[in-house]
Amino acid sequence: MSLYNDHTGHVAAKYIRNAVIIIILLLFALATIFPIYFMIISSFGDPVEAGAMSYSLIPTKISLDSYKFFFEYSEYSLRWLLNSLFVASVVTVSNVFFASMAGYAFSKIRFKGRTALFTLLLIAMMIPYQVTQVPLYILIVNIFQIQNTYSALILPGLVTVYNIFLAKQFMSSIPTEVLECAKIEGCNQFQVYFRIILPLSKTVLAVMAILTFMDSWNTFFWPFLVTNTMDMQTIQVGLKNFRFANTTYFAPMMAGATISALPMFILFFSLQKYFLKGVTVGAVKG
Amino acid sequence: MKRNMRVLASILALTLALSSLTACGSSNNEAKPSDSGSNVSADAKDTITALLPPVSGKFQDKFKQLEKEFNELYPNLTLNIEPASWEDMTQKLDTQVNAGSPPDIAFIPSGGIPKYIQQGMLLDITDTATPEMVADYDKVPLEYMKNGNGLYGFPAYMEVHALGGNKQFLEEAGIDWKKVQKDGWTIDEFREAIKKGVVKEGDKTSRYGFVFATAGVASKDYLNILLKNAGMPAQFNTDLKYAYTSKNFLEVLKDIRALIDDGSMPKELSSVDAGKRWNMFLTGQTMITGKGLATFENNANENNEKIKAKDGSEVKGSIPVDYIVLPVPTFLGEKQQASVAVDGYVTFRGTKEPTAEHKANVVKAAYFLASGNVAATTNNDLFAAHITESGRKAAETMPLNRNEDNKAAVETLLQQATPARPDIPTDLGAKAIKMEDEVIVPKLQALIAGEITPEAMYETVKSAAVKAFGEDGVVKE
Amino acid sequence: MTQLAKPLKKRRIKGDGGWGYAFIAVALVVFAVFTAYPVVSAFIISFQDYKPLGSTFVGFDNYIDSFKDSLFWKSLVNTVVYTILTVPVALIISFGVAILILPLNKKLQTTFKAIYYLPAVASGVALSVVWLWIFDPMPTGILNQVLGFFGINNQNWLGSSSTSMFSLVLMSWLSSHGTSIIIYLAALLGIDDSYYEAAELDGASFIKKMWYIVIPCLKPTTLFLLVTGVIGSFQVFQNAYLMTGGGPDNATTMVGLLIFNNAFKYFEFGKAAAQSLVLALIIGVISLVQFKFWGKDVEY
Repeated sequence: MSLYNDHTGHVAAKYIRNAVIIIILLLFALATIFPIYFMIISSFGDPVEAGAMSYSLIPTKISLDSYKFFFEYSEYSLRWLLNSLFVASVVTVSNVFFASMAGYAFSKIRFKGRTALFTLLLIAMMIPYQVTQVPLYILIVNIFQIQNTYSALILPGLVTVYNIFLAKQFMSSIPTEVLECAKIEGCNQFQVYFRIILPLSKTVLAVMAILTFMDSWNTFFWPFLVTNTMDMQTIQVGLKNFRFANTTYFAPMMAGATISALPMFILFFSLQKYFLKGVTVGAVKG
Repeated sequence: MKRNMRVLASILALTLALSSLTACGSSNNEAKPSDSGSNVSADAKDTITALLPPVSGKFQDKFKQLEKEFNELYPNLTLNIEPASWEDMTQKLDTQVNAGSPPDIAFIPSGGIPKYIQQGMLLDITDTATPEMVADYDKVPLEYMKNGNGLYGFPAYMEVHALGGNKQFLEEAGIDWKKVQKDGWTIDEFREAIKKGVVKEGDKTSRYGFVFATAGVASKDYLNILLKNAGMPAQFNTDLKYAYTSKNFLEVLKDIRALIDDGSMPKELSSVDAGKRWNMFLTGQTMITGKGLATFENNANENNEKIKAKDGSEVKGSIPVDYIVLPVPTFLGEKQQASVAVDGYVTFRGTKEPTAEHKANVVKAAYFLASGNVAATTNNDLFAAHITESGRKAAETMPLNRNEDNKAAVETLLQQATPARPDIPTDLGAKAIKMEDEVIVPKLQALIAGEITPEAMYETVKSAAVKAFGEDGVVKE
Repeated sequence: MTQLAKPLKKRRIKGDGGWGYAFIAVALVVFAVFTAYPVVSAFIISFQDYKPLGSTFVGFDNYIDSFKDSLFWKSLVNTVVYTILTVPVALIISFGVAILILPLNKKLQTTFKAIYYLPAVASGVALSVVWLWIFDPMPTGILNQVLGFFGINNQNWLGSSSTSMFSLVLMSWLSSHGTSIIIYLAALLGIDDSYYEAAELDGASFIKKMWYIVIPCLKPTTLFLLVTGVIGSFQVFQNAYLMTGGGPDNATTMVGLLIFNNAFKYFEFGKAAAQSLVLALIIGVISLVQFKFWGKDVEY
């Protein structure tokens, strides 16, 4: 029983429908995947400058020089990857935990000033970062004096309004009745959150984890601002060092981009099971 | 943990500083008063930070070594170099400047100096730089590091923005490039020459006479390079009146259009970027390209080697190219004035007034980076001319492989370098920069794309200039 | 039975005020220090001629100057046009794709999600290089080759003011919808089967199920994507910055780019702050309308 008809008894109809769907999806996928394809094939080119770049769909020459170049370019290549991994993991865990808590509170718990506070959060989200960046920099570097530390990289991203908003929107569709039942059975709010909300929100939390990790992993500007030694840089900051005076070492940069994208593939597929259907309210009720 | 270390370190530093202060007191009593002060201050520990982009391809690899050499030279001083890419370092520096805590030294184009002076964050080193240091530099590039009466750092190199030609194509088109290198050419001669460079297959152009990178903000370079040779070396004339309202400006705009309408330049010029035009040059799709830097000769040579090696690593479809340095044509009988870029090590200050000792140390570090061996190696990597005596001396022993004609041509152009204009007040300069970004560049892009006429652009620029600088603040002729 | 009859009605648990504050405490502290503080600073700066060594109070000058500046208005119009052309289309595309992925088996679902999400993983630089190639103005450019196939002359995509905005919009249509697709899918998978079961007993068609179950159930998600999409689009400047630099003739200058230029290129930080606050106000009003319009029967 679902949105789509099961076509019970019409196996052929089902297959035809799915085939049509797959073809449409594949066509759209081609357009989307193209830049990635380009990224990967150019990473196998020679480490030449971008001015001398030639665009081609099929690599004329396969060489792993760029990957070697990337790791030999700086003794810190591996360190950059580890830094990124550490920062992104901490930020992801704290976001999933704190944003889901806040999202739950904003959607299901009645307290004074709730709407006002939430509106305030949203308004802050609307101020472009170009303007808040300098005050934030002053705060971290001049007031807290923690530049070039992991704290500086992690603290500002501990909980984002985006994630609170996301959690709130999803949790608002969990029927309140379920929660009330639990309360009647003597659960306190924390138990409700832990035993009912979290399991019911697995899907959105997995989505949040992926998005947050990705975002943190890809952030360039903030880590670039607050780090000033190579050993504290993240992979994105390190990668940018491939861009030289009037030219760019193109293939190694693409190799770096491919390397930096790898953990994302792994994360994506390892979180897959949480994306799968099954953690719905009905399942819990039943 | 890190935080604790930091506290510990600052306590240590403080203790050291205090003990050195007391040492200072005692030594003062004993030693002769005349030189004790300088002795002591020179020994105090100090750290200088420098934010440096990859000035040359090999530059950033040498940071560790530079830090070490500097420390060997001045055992009490530590040089901390932060690497940053060209594209991003301005943003980092600007954030730091806005926050009131910039590095001591940053490598930037001299054109950025007025902007930072306006923020009050530059360090005037006129009194701190020793006469020997100042005397080491050629006069023209050093002037570029000045504003008003202040000196704000040391120049690293002065590069000529010229044009680059394909030797074989030039000769096929019957252009006497050696003569052009020596005597220059007028825009009319240039126009005829690039017409001859065009090769057509049917109604499709397979080779253009001239391609300049004008996509996005690069169009600014194109205009500026031409204006220098049209009697407008700067946005303001010597009476500090805005120059781009003169009739000559209109004439240059007309010629920009004419070169495209002739078919000598592609009609899609407005979205040709630096990478694209270099690719067109190497693949024989254009005879002349711009802007041309001395180092392009090197890039072309490297590609030629790859073609010879036949391992498929050369630029796809490229042909062997002998790169020829060419001057920019002159307009309306005005003299040839090469557009130059002077970049250098600019000195900054924080919100707190720096001590005299720290100032002296910053100058030492800036001079260390911008002279002698360091400057010589970097400039050789870039094929850039040396602008310090010490650099020239250090370079004598370094081998360099380049075309003698090109070297001579560049030297001629350097002789004709447009002089710096430290007399332009920062507020006028700031207005002109804004005018350039918000009016001139957007309109120029439209002109190149064939969407407005030269006259329309001229009128827009003129009325915007009158609005910004007043009727009396602009050139009228 | 009343509970079952109105399963979507949400009531909050009462008398838990203390818990509420406890649950948002950490988020609120982080927010206050790292977001609210900079925002308040920006607000103060918007009334100043900002200099690191000491700012001067200038009243509403920064605001007045901005409103008098024709470029500010032009960039606002550009931003609105860009937003109208991109955000709704992005929602429709990602909704459509999510719906299409739904009936497939788990392996295929995963594969397609991964594919659509990949561009977000790739570095922005790689993407912009590819797009420059697609928009290459010469007849050899990818898009121009497609046009050439139909006998149309090559276009100067990014270099002409008639096509540059369209080019940026096209770029947004075809590049990453991954985030929205994933969020939509998560929401789709969260719809309780019992709704479909009930509908099927009534003999509801696919269209009916879509209209009466899927769309209402996805309202909170759509609202989220719409509001964040509009916020993102109003602040966009990366694409214009990398691809066109705002040109030609300011045809693609967005407010985000203008604010960036004011803050850093010209060091008119006060003006940048003032313009940001105006921008925030505009986005705020638009979001409010969205909440009123979309959030009518949804809890927010």
